[in-house]
Amino acid sequence: MLQFVLSGVAIGSIYGLIGMALAISFYVTRIINFAQGELMMVTVMVTAELASSGYPVWLAALAGLACSCIVGILSYVIAVRPILLSNRFSFGWLVSTLGFAVIVENAAAYIWGPTSQAFPPILNGISLPIGGAVLTAQQLLAIVTAAVLAAGFEIVRRYTLFGKLGMATAADPEMASAIGANTTIVAIVAFAISAIYAGIAGLLIGPSTFANPYLGDTFGTYGFIAMMIGGGTERPIAAMFGGLLLGVCAEGANALINSQASDWFPFIVLVLILIVSPKGLFSTSNPLFRPRRVAVTRG
Amino acid sequence: MAPAFDTQSGTAAPRLRIGRWRAAGLAAVLIAYLAATAYVAHTDLGLQSLVLVAAVFGILAISLDLVAGMLGLYSLGQGGFFGIGAYATTILANDYGWNAFGLLALVLAATGLIGMAVGAMSLRVSGLYFAITTFIFTLVLTVLATDMVTVTGGLQGLLGPAFPDFPASLEWLGTPLVWCIMLALLACLGLVWNIRHSPLYPILLSIRDAEPFAEAAGARTAAIKVGVFGVSAAMAGGAGWLFSFLGVVSPSQFDWSVSLNVLVMVLIGGINTSIGPVVGAMFVSMFPNVVNINPWLQEIVYGALSILAITLLPDGVVGIARRALARRAGGIAPAAEAASAEAMPTAPATAASPASPTDSEVIVECRGIEFGYGLGPKVLRNVDLAVRRGHIHGLIGPNGSGKSTLANVISGRLTPHAGEVLLKGTRVDGMPASSRSRLGLRRTFQAAQLVKELTPTQNVMVGLFDRVPRIVGRAPLWPMLASGRRDLAAMQRRASEALSLVGAGDWTARQVADVPHGIEQLTQLASVCVAGPDIIVLDEPATGLSAKEVRHLAAILANLKTQGVTMIIIEHQTRFLFPLCDRVTVLNAGEVILTGSADEVRADPVVRQVYLGE
Amino acid sequence: MSEQPTLEINALSAGYGRFDVVRDVALSVGKGEAVALLGPNGAGKTTVLRAIMGLVKQRRGLIRIGGTDVSALPTHRIARGLAAIAPEGRRLFLDQSVEDNLLLGALHLRHDKARTQTLLASVYDLFPVLKAYRQRLSSFLSGGEQQMVAIGRMLMSDPEIMLLDEPSVALSPVAVDIVVKAMLELRKRGASLLLVEQRTDVATRVCDRLYVMTHGEIVDEMKPETIRSGGMSILNKYLG
Repeated sequence: MLQFVLSGVAIGSIYGLIGMALAISFYVTRIINFAQGELMMVTVMVTAELASSGYPVWLAALAGLACSCIVGILSYVIAVRPILLSNRFSFGWLVSTLGFAVIVENAAAYIWGPTSQAFPPILNGISLPIGGAVLTAQQLLAIVTAAVLAAGFEIVRRYTLFGKLGMATAADPEMASAIGANTTIVAIVAFAISAIYAGIAGLLIGPSTFANPYLGDTFGTYGFIAMMIGGGTERPIAAMFGGLLLGVCAEGANALINSQASDWFPFIVLVLILIVSPKGLFSTSNPLFRPRRVAVTRG
Repeated sequence: MAPAFDTQSGTAAPRLRIGRWRAAGLAAVLIAYLAATAYVAHTDLGLQSLVLVAAVFGILAISLDLVAGMLGLYSLGQGGFFGIGAYATTILANDYGWNAFGLLALVLAATGLIGMAVGAMSLRVSGLYFAITTFIFTLVLTVLATDMVTVTGGLQGLLGPAFPDFPASLEWLGTPLVWCIMLALLACLGLVWNIRHSPLYPILLSIRDAEPFAEAAGARTAAIKVGVFGVSAAMAGGAGWLFSFLGVVSPSQFDWSVSLNVLVMVLIGGINTSIGPVVGAMFVSMFPNVVNINPWLQEIVYGALSILAITLLPDGVVGIARRALARRAGGIAPAAEAASAEAMPTAPATAASPASPTDSEVIVECRGIEFGYGLGPKVLRNVDLAVRRGHIHGLIGPNGSGKSTLANVISGRLTPHAGEVLLKGTRVDGMPASSRSRLGLRRTFQAAQLVKELTPTQNVMVGLFDRVPRIVGRAPLWPMLASGRRDLAAMQRRASEALSLVGAGDWTARQVADVPHGIEQLTQLASVCVAGPDIIVLDEPATGLSAKEVRHLAAILANLKTQGVTMIIIEHQTRFLFPLCDRVTVLNAGEVILTGSADEVRADPVVRQVYLGE
Repeated sequence: MSEQPTLEINALSAGYGRFDVVRDVALSVGKGEAVALLGPNGAGKTTVLRAIMGLVKQRRGLIRIGGTDVSALPTHRIARGLAAIAPEGRRLFLDQSVEDNLLLGALHLRHDKARTQTLLASVYDLFPVLKAYRQRLSSFLSGGEQQMVAIGRMLMSDPEIMLLDEPSVALSPVAVDIVVKAMLELRKRGASLLLVEQRTDVATRVCDRLYVMTHGEIVDEMKPETIRSGGMSILNKYLG
């Protein structure tokens, strides 16, 4: 029982980070970046490549994050901005971000080949017994990092001018520009931050999955589910809660039903949650978890 | 494709000739299509499978365009319905030996019903969330197909059943599957083409772009959406049935990326066009076979092309072609001034002193209406309103006083928290807007709710929705039915007449996006009048009209009054409103201050202070 | 007026889609002057304000603020000290506190802490009630208080010209009075105002000059005294 909760929280914090990455870019631009999983993959591949050619792991990891940051900004400039400029409410972004994902994924497969490569171990090998269960240091690192990043995001959002500006841009982009905000810069920064979140998730999961160009598909999908379960489309932090729930459900299903159950059980959970609360469990529209906020008065 | 309606132009004889030419052209296209099918049916297997896969995806793309293009429901569930069809057919035919055509009927019915269920569930959410919930539907099905190894064969998939052979007498036709798939594609094209040429088409577009307008015209928009989504799902399921005969059925052939690819097809080919989806499907499905390079580079090129297509050609290939054709054909704008005084209706100007009975029965009544948005403050407080038959009843008040809200409560857009609304003595406050339309109530909107890409005539036809029987049922076969052609011609005639009557007769053939604001307002009015309603609620009809147009509008309204139509008019411009009105009600901050004749209202000191600002 | 006007507009046409909502508009606001744009719904008054802020994509003609030609500048550049708007519907950032809303108004002054604090103090001086509510979410405020925050947010950017779009809409008479007094106080402090109004009484109390707009064009210009001395009937001719 404790074992699957702990390992569920560990893997869930990875899903949560990717979910938050999706949610952060959605928050500012109102589009879902289908290339988000690929941004994570870019970090993993670049880090693995540099580490295997002899660079220190920390340097390789930094370079990997920088690369996914650049690719993330490119995804905004190439696949998102032209669509937003033409028509904010059409679904063209669905196609363009997916097209961007296809390009990145296959470019990686072209450069590094479709097979998995070694990823430098960061803290593997050490494990800590907790109660009757075991948590590897790698898992612990994932949980702590996710907690720090989630809390950090909330602190920045609520207590810094940039965070407040981000909220303002999310709520009313036109009014934000009318108080002097360059909304393009805000969006680019949001995409860069979301790329870093996805990249960090990649660094945390890399040692267990190895480096594979198709990593982005799987984890992008799980990140998306995390965001939807949590309701990250309204509050990015909710995607982290969604991720944790998803992780625990998946590991729990594996432990209690059968070893394949993690493939389908989370989806059942997702469907049930969306039937009850279409915008996610921790969203503002869910009466159960409604944060304090009064409906907008008509003006 | 030929333009949808052009019956407004020209006399009968040339129209007949055009009709004949079109029939001949259609026959030629059909024969060419069948000849091409015969050619494919006799050619080698490689080309056959290339064409057949493209055709199956063509059907899939048409099924998506039906909901995405005409209803604005961007479904990512098409892959899921496709998979249900393919798996059901494969499993039931291989393991239980069911007849292929019996399975077709089963698959169509089952996917249609599932589609309606998914649609009904997803309708609680709109736009992006509709796409997401249908996306998750596909995701769940893919996972189930992958994991239920004993039934579905897991990732390896299953080998599809063989398609039944032709009877010996028909063997000269070639491969039967080719005929079956190509005829199915033709049937789907025909179905969509028919809908596009039926009066259902403007109604579907108005549900997409101006749902309140469609509802006010009597359309049960939710039911129509669910029904059309069911048809679309059945079409995707049918495509799955066809696909199962083409080889192996495995989860990767209908996972979420397939749903997205179908959307790419539709968007590249041209959304909401008859052949665009098929063009897109051909491009996307044949692309890997035509561009023969390293598979990863090929994917990269595909990704880049889809980004380019979507950023540079937002209307798709067909949209571009159509615009090029339109530019060549050109078009002459009618005289700039909208409602010319000459086009005035034949109404005697009885506006000044309406000779209406002052003691006729009450036809619209509100009792103690309370309403507020969300948890915000009350917008309407204990509002009573009684409108007598044949009267023009003005509703004035400062901005934010609740006038439009009251109009929405009367017409059924909003349900009051407390109080009663009665129409002709029937209590209606629990009824949807579409049912109130059947009681003879129509309304216009402050910001004209019209479909920009249709002509005023087509928009006015939406107003006839509940005056013509079985539009929805007949739509799939409409142009082929004698009753359909007759009704369509009658509807077009009535719509053009209504437009001429309000003075917008010169603008019938242009898109609403290209007409001036005044004509938009008049089109709205025509779409209401065409149905011959007893009661009309007008929300700021004079907004944005020139002084001349306002005078014209006043004459039209006075004319309607002589025909016994009751009107409730919300208006700021008291100079326009007061001469028309029998009674005026003044609202302020959600409460009725006063109801009386125009003179009484004008003389009231409170009204002068609050509203007239003196 | 010998010196250059704070706001000068000439031959402005602006709109959305294929039609210009506003055609060939010319107007000016002098330094320390308050000018009103009157007209019925749909006359294009709001579009003029939006065009000044650069919020209307399609605009032609000359817009000059304090000598700077802004007709080609993007919105966020105009908003940095040239013009600021208290828009129609107030459009506060409802999920943020009163003070955050105000501080966001001074975005371009974020490195000048002292000036920001002075401005904040002057807003609280103008609307003492906001100081009491400074930590409150702005969605919890009444309509009048929200309008105060919108005006305060506009002041915080210390602009050359202040644009107010129907500040009296949907407010109780008491709240309208507070807003009018605030505008008069701003005038005393030397601010230049361009006010869009439907209520003639509000406009005549605050402004030096009034432009009348109908159907996207400016059709008349008058003084408040003209209106008080019987010009109401002329005005009614336009306003209906």
